Amino acid sequence: MALVRKLKPDRNIAGVIIPFSIVPIFGLATLFFGLPIGLITLGIWMFVYSLFYLYVFIRTRNIAQLVVCVEGIFFGFMFLVFEPNFGTNSVESQEFRAAYISGVIFFGLILISLVLTRRFKWRGREIFELAGESVDEAGNGYTSRPRPVGKVEYSLQQMHSFSHFCARHLIALTYVTSKNITLVPIKMGEEFGRILGLSGDYRDATWVNFDVNGEVSVHISQKDYLDYREPLAFDQLCTSLGQVFIDFIELYNKGEGVRVIDRMDDLKLSFLS
Amino acid sequence: MDFHTAAKYASLLSKDYAEDIFKLLVNYQAISASEVATRLNLHIKTAQDFLESLENLDIVSREEVLEKKRPYYRYILKQNRLVIDIDLMQVRQEQSPNSLSARLREKENAGARFSVARSDDYITSVAIWTGDGRERQERKIKLTTPQGRFLYHLPFPKAEPLTVDEIIQKAGIDKSLAPEILDLVQLLEKYNVIEALPEVQK
Repeated sequence: MALVRKLKPDRNIAGVIIPFSIVPIFGLATLFFGLPIGLITLGIWMFVYSLFYLYVFIRTRNIAQLVVCVEGIFFGFMFLVFEPNFGTNSVESQEFRAAYISGVIFFGLILISLVLTRRFKWRGREIFELAGESVDEAGNGYTSRPRPVGKVEYSLQQMHSFSHFCARHLIALTYVTSKNITLVPIKMGEEFGRILGLSGDYRDATWVNFDVNGEVSVHISQKDYLDYREPLAFDQLCTSLGQVFIDFIELYNKGEGVRVIDRMDDLKLSFLS
Repeated sequence: MDFHTAAKYASLLSKDYAEDIFKLLVNYQAISASEVATRLNLHIKTAQDFLESLENLDIVSREEVLEKKRPYYRYILKQNRLVIDIDLMQVRQEQSPNSLSARLREKENAGARFSVARSDDYITSVAIWTGDGRERQERKIKLTTPQGRFLYHLPFPKAEPLTVDEIIQKAGIDKSLAPEILDLVQLLEKYNVIEALPEVQK
């Protein structure tokens, strides 16, 4: 049976543009300053890129981010080594080629595996699809107010543990204060803006909040709401989004965290959306 | 005394020359506007307006005097004490059973912007648009914590409306704070942010 998607097709290319911006940057640097400077620029850009993924790893503890970070460091280093020896025998040596090619194969395979197994994927779209799944009624009624959707009977420690789980599997980015644990689901391509703080305050985004007493409240941003094909009944959508996370925390606390991932994988969304 | 009358009293008493004019009214049996003006070095119109205002408030009485060809008025103090007495309870929000049983929810496309408190369990302010066309401007209303909690639990547009009483209970607000909640309800209804729906017949 064909899955009925509630979200519009993903046309956001920010996730592709940012990593691939490296190509025109390299081209322009080479054009204006020559190939050596182009290679240095490429190497520095790879390091900057690695720094970003290192930060994401520290923030989420998602291993895939660390792999991409190491990959960036490796290739950045290769470009910087390549530049002063460009045109000399050392870069044309068997050893350099072996190191470069083995690096490309090793990191290439790992990266492909991470992408195919969705370990590198921010799960925002899955969350929104799951939230929209149970809402059939259309009716709009958008409001910028958060909605209290229920209560969970878990200790603060269990909720913290769940938030780490969500961050580790890129289900949501977590913001922890003394009174609240806020989970912000992020769609692929939006991670750069959100993590670098360029997308504004996370309170204006879509979030699910667990307070210290277990009260769950939900806020859906207008941008995310408009991403649904139909103007779904907003009240029900908020309740459903909260329920998705309540179900997730229940599964997680039963030791069935893997079922959470399965539920999202079953939606069979594109690896890059 | 109502607020409006008290405000008139206060406005008159706040004038720089009010005490001096009252001094003249107390010490003179009757005095005209021109006598007051020359005595206190005021413009005749200023003295005239002040005395007419006192007469409107029944603090002084006036009698018409005919001297030469032109008649004029002389003012006589009627009261020896001025008491501004306002019963503040007269402006208290009426907490009738009807007002608490009004079924409310947020109005669709109200265009209001809500700011949520850091603790995420109440609204701190609501920004609404007032006026039309080029006169349209944003007005921000800061809310008290009970008001913020009330608004936080207000049903969404298109959701099943709840009575004021039910929302108060849901938000865990003390019933004694109902007047400030009703004040907010009135204000937001006026600005079309919330809507009251007719009671369901059982």
